[in-house]
Amino acid sequence: MTITWEHFIYFAIPSIILWALGAFFAYKKSGRVPSILLTILGLLVFFAFIAAFWQSLERPPLRTMGETRLWYSFFLPIAGLITYIRWRYPWILTFSTILATVFIFVNILKPEIHNKTLMPALQSPWFAPHVIVYMFSYAMLGAGALVSLYFLLFGRKQKIETKIMDLIDNFIYVGLAFLTIGMLFGALWAKEAWGHYWSWDPKETWAAATWMGYLVYVHYRNHKPLRYKNALCVVVFGFLLLQITWFGVNYLPSAQGLSIHTYSAE
Amino acid sequence: MWKYPWKYAEGIVICIGLFVTGAVLQFTIGPIVLEYLKYPLNLIFGIIYCVILVAFYFLSKHNKYIFWFSKSEAAITSIVSLLILVIIMGFTRQEVIMPIDGHPHKNIGDWNLGFHQMTRSWIFALLFLYFLNILGLATIRRLASFKWKDFTFAMNHLGLFIALLAGVLGSADMQRLRMQTQLGQPEWRATTDDGQMVELPIAIELQSFTIEQYPPKLLVISNETGEALPKKQPHNLLVEETPIKGKLLDWEIEVTEFLPMAASVITQDTVKYVNFETHGATSAVYVKAKKDEQVKEGWVSAGNHMFPHRALTLNDEFSVVMPEREPKKYASGVNVYVKDGEDIQTTIEVNKPLEVEGWKIYQLSYDEVMGRWSNISIFELVRDPWLPYVYLGIIMMLIGSVGLFLVAKRKDNK
Ligand code: HEM
Repeated sequence: MTITWEHFIYFAIPSIILWALGAFFAYKKSGRVPSILLTILGLLVFFAFIAAFWQSLERPPLRTMGETRLWYSFFLPIAGLITYIRWRYPWILTFSTILATVFIFVNILKPEIHNKTLMPALQSPWFAPHVIVYMFSYAMLGAGALVSLYFLLFGRKQKIETKIMDLIDNFIYVGLAFLTIGMLFGALWAKEAWGHYWSWDPKETWAAATWMGYLVYVHYRNHKPLRYKNALCVVVFGFLLLQITWFGVNYLPSAQGLSIHTYSAE
Repeated sequence: MWKYPWKYAEGIVICIGLFVTGAVLQFTIGPIVLEYLKYPLNLIFGIIYCVILVAFYFLSKHNKYIFWFSKSEAAITSIVSLLILVIIMGFTRQEVIMPIDGHPHKNIGDWNLGFHQMTRSWIFALLFLYFLNILGLATIRRLASFKWKDFTFAMNHLGLFIALLAGVLGSADMQRLRMQTQLGQPEWRATTDDGQMVELPIAIELQSFTIEQYPPKLLVISNETGEALPKKQPHNLLVEETPIKGKLLDWEIEVTEFLPMAASVITQDTVKYVNFETHGATSAVYVKAKKDEQVKEGWVSAGNHMFPHRALTLNDEFSVVMPEREPKKYASGVNVYVKDGEDIQTTIEVNKPLEVEGWKIYQLSYDEVMGRWSNISIFELVRDPWLPYVYLGIIMMLIGSVGLFLVAKRKDNK
């Protein structure tokens, strides 16, 4: 049997239920172990779909926006789980579950059906690591942006604590680390495929802007560790740049017909 | 302002000053030409630059104003200035103006800031140089009193510095040539971007050119506009096996026969396809389409340089067509003759370039009209002698990224 987007819902709904249960147990007194196990179980179910889909496509499902959203909804709970295990914020799993669910519903309501074809330039061992690393980074940076936005909007009522800034720092440091790795993998791959590691193609230009945005955050935090609000604004701005890189480029007039990266816009 | 200690305001003013200077230079001199900075000039420049940076480091020990340039205020304002330029670049359509005789157009008197060719604009160049100075000074300062806890810092900052410096200095030494080869004919001449012919110490003889294709795809198009339907997300049916059934718009489609190598034969009242397993063949499928009580059937073919394409007309509005089959892989079997070395017999594919005598040879293109029957293969030849240094920087940054990841965890422990 070949797995297609039509079967997605049968994996996605059980995953969401398992993740939601995991998130629920995180608030319970001795709920730590069941919470972790349920989340992992949800991830396994979700990954089963990715693996089977990959198998039936005969190529990694990384080509279209819908396919990258698939990975995004997979990495969000992973990011949440790591954070929960490491820093024990009870609310983080609720948060990652809701975000993942949003992306899952986008995929259920607007699946982008594509066939097996993958242009020769994308058939490279660099393809999967490049995109997967980026998606993990996007998950981290997205989580950081949402927490930041929350405290920017409701910060007056709720004092921002050092603990919260530590959390955001962690999201952004890890996100930036993976963003850098994804970008450098991209450069190495571009050399193999197109003959040059950097050519200021529109997607690359915006990726550079995004990267620099987060560099500003890291250096500003290092320099002025007590100016919380400014730092939070940088995180949100960085995520805005990231959105342009991720899919905004497809719609920018300045990029029409130029980008070698807009494969999905057929 | 301008009293010690300098803060962000001074940094912002310096960047604005550089912006204005760059604009003046752009208006008077025109875009930057880096093409003259070839070996050994670039190497000498690089060495002098590093010596000057180190000298400034020593000066900065006694001069607090120079010291400021290795501090966070300087770093952040310079990153932000460059970020603004990169964002402008992202919103501005970048033009590739082909150099005439190796010189880019001089736009003297054109009252533009050169943003449509950002990497050649003086504003970008000055702010980039300033950024690199600060990165360099900050790096030297930390490395001068190196402790192991600075390892991640060293990898990230020195790595970025090396990669950027080598990338910029090496850009004029990089050669990108295009070589068109014809089956059975050794070729040693290639052309540059601006059409100059270059003779190389290696020759390539094309032995074979093959395209592996994906299975054919069927689409429904509008007879009037030729657009695939539905407009936003065209349906398609991939004919991986026969028979196969599917739906296009609200038509039930069944493909009963697939001839990967076919020729059209005109009979008395129709066109049919037969097996034709030689050069010039096209692909054809036999399609039955059904909607309510209507039934249409017939051959559909992509066509090529020898055979016209053929659609199946469903009604006044729609037809079923087969777009050209997408290439899965294209590969050139080649003999490469090296002047004072051994000949190489190999295949070159997309993503699998061949490295020989300091050149990397990439599969670039072929005769697209002839498609899989092309007897031409086009290669791109790239020589980039500074690449190892750029890679050194990239590898250091990769290590630095892992460090950054670990730093994030450690911070929490204290
Ligand atoms: C690969 C990109 C970069 C990363 C990951 C990075 C990361 C960091 C980190 C984590 C720190 C905190 C201090 C520490 O680790 O001890 C730092 C400090 C600093 N960085 Fe960067 N940075 C990058 C690029 C840059 C650039 C482009 C500049 C300059 C234009 C710069 C200038 C500085 C300065 C001046 C400091 C303060 C150093 C000090 O006061 O000792 N960095 N950087």
